[in-house]
Amino acid sequence: MGWLDANLISVLNGFALAALLFLIAVGLSLVFGTMDVLNLAHGSLSLIGAYLGVALVGDGASIGAFVLAALLAAVVGALLGAALAAMTSAITDHLRQALLTLGVALIAADVLRELFGSDPERVSAPAALAGSVDVLGRPYPVYRLSVVAVAVVIGLALYYVLERTQAGAIVRATVADRGMVEAIGIRSQVVLLGVFGVGAALATLGGLLAGPVLGARPGLDSTVLLLALVVVVVGGLGSVRGALLGALLVGQVQTLGVSLLPGQASFLLFGAMALVLLLRPRGLLPSPYAHAGGHA
Amino acid sequence: MPALPSRRLAPAAVLSTAALVLAGCGGGSLSEDSGDGGDDTVTVGLVLPASGVYEPLGVDMTRGWELYLEQNDGMLGDREIEVVTADEGEGPDVGVPATTRVITQDQADVVVGIVNSATALGVKEGLASSEVPLIVANAGADDLADGSEWVWRTSFTNGGIAASLGEQVAEDVGDEPVYLMAADYAAGEESMAGFREAFEAAGGTVAGESLTPFGTTSDYQPFLTRAQNSDAGAIYAFYAGAEAVSFVTQYREFGAAEDLPLYGPGFLTEGGVLEAQGDAAVGVQTAMHYSNLLDTPENTEFVDAYVEAYDAQPTTYAVQAYDAAAALDAALATSDGTSGADIAAALGEVGEFSDSPRGPWSFDDDHNPEQTYFLREVEDVDGAPGNVVQGELN
Repeated sequence: MGWLDANLISVLNGFALAALLFLIAVGLSLVFGTMDVLNLAHGSLSLIGAYLGVALVGDGASIGAFVLAALLAAVVGALLGAALAAMTSAITDHLRQALLTLGVALIAADVLRELFGSDPERVSAPAALAGSVDVLGRPYPVYRLSVVAVAVVIGLALYYVLERTQAGAIVRATVADRGMVEAIGIRSQVVLLGVFGVGAALATLGGLLAGPVLGARPGLDSTVLLLALVVVVVGGLGSVRGALLGALLVGQVQTLGVSLLPGQASFLLFGAMALVLLLRPRGLLPSPYAHAGGHA
Repeated sequence: MPALPSRRLAPAAVLSTAALVLAGCGGGSLSEDSGDGGDDTVTVGLVLPASGVYEPLGVDMTRGWELYLEQNDGMLGDREIEVVTADEGEGPDVGVPATTRVITQDQADVVVGIVNSATALGVKEGLASSEVPLIVANAGADDLADGSEWVWRTSFTNGGIAASLGEQVAEDVGDEPVYLMAADYAAGEESMAGFREAFEAAGGTVAGESLTPFGTTSDYQPFLTRAQNSDAGAIYAFYAGAEAVSFVTQYREFGAAEDLPLYGPGFLTEGGVLEAQGDAAVGVQTAMHYSNLLDTPENTEFVDAYVEAYDAQPTTYAVQAYDAAAALDAALATSDGTSGADIAAALGEVGEFSDSPRGPWSFDDDHNPEQTYFLREVEDVDGAPGNVVQGELN
């Protein structure tokens, strides 16, 4: 069996993992990089999405029911994001933001544990996508392939909005110079609310989509937060392209890398992160708009 | 090279540190009562996880313990029992101080419980020097019980469960090799070593092995692909809890189930884990010292009482705690007094437990349970997967 035959599944699976990581991490990156807000509750948002999947998606659900649950998760995420934005808007100090959102994350973890118990739960993939297809003679879950497609669509939409629309221009301008944006009559609080809402909605949506892959369990919130953080740090803060590149890299390290060097599996991820930080301290593709000064 | 943009990096450091702290957080304590009972009252320190990843085990074990006490009107060996509880948490950082507190502050005469092997090893010496016996109701580290009069175990040894499968798997696979997988920590290594020894002694060969990072692996595809690329005819795997759910689900999704039968210790498909796995687990064969589907009068009676009390099926973990109470009951019935030394001496004289739900068992020379391991296979039982007993293994 050739190298490609043997490792194609790993490469493919790396893309699926990257797709999920991208959806979850891009919100963290945007809020963190563009709005200068540290949100340690980001992993909790994602876990809330996963548990919404547990509650709303039964075994053998139709694609329609799954999409409906995903939309609902996004709405819930947007509302929670807005609440977080309101909470953090008055705080400019990173340490205080971290403490506040960490507190929110701890409370959320306990509430989720009360509601759903501490047994690991699994979210079922919709019935039509539950099977496997043959990829070079090896079965591969259809659901994971569809996750890649969804992530590509959302990624393109995000890119378009940020780079080609007026709303995107305002967001970029707020990042570059908040004072100037306010001077021309735009309330930066509203922009913050919007970005936070969208970022949080993507996190809950990503969490729900990740449900059939990662499941839902206490502790998954910090696992996801850590992975999202690695993606953001590797890719560079505040850019959609950075989050994408970071997610792709982390995805491949976690699958192809582990497959080739199983003995170093637990070291690979952070080894890769350390290497990137050594060579490119700001990440691979940091936001070109990120301002040098502090908070306005 | 431009100056490092430290403003951008510092928050990242704060973020990752905080995330790691979050991951390591344990729960507080739940100890309520203090005070030493009179001479006839025995104070039992029940140390079980009420927080962290092992909480589901703690819930099951607390239920098993309480069920036995309820069935005996709160008395063990005709003596009043005062139970002080403490949260074992996830690891020794929480579990060791919690155990120390129940023997110092709460003056426990005997400690029951302990899920995590590292915690059990961490409290072993302190308990011995305080002359407080420890009845381990889960932790499976091979060397934990070594004949010391202060350590007794009602659960299993990692190596013991694994070894019981060796001959069976060797017989099933014929001349095909087996691929070994385990979570990369002490229990996984002991399990893999125990299986390998018994399997090779029975004439089996190993195609390869993977130790997967413990607690951080959410995707087993790279390891499963290695097993599929090897010339193995079956997989032996040690996983528990959320890891077992991910592993078995992905074993099914990536098609390994189609040509590589899966064997492992029963934790792979036990209790809530099996519920979450659902149909993905059908066909998985495990070794365990108990199954709630064990068809004996003793077990039927136990299961009925358990379901009646908690509206849930009992797990192996519940039985281990139930039997810990039974062992203490038998010891207190014959012990001269209620001191730790009296209880420890009496534990050495308890003989065989003939009416345990798991079947007859007794303490061996090392104070581990001498018991029957069963081969179980996950089958559909009345619309839900269950561990159907196929036969005895040793």
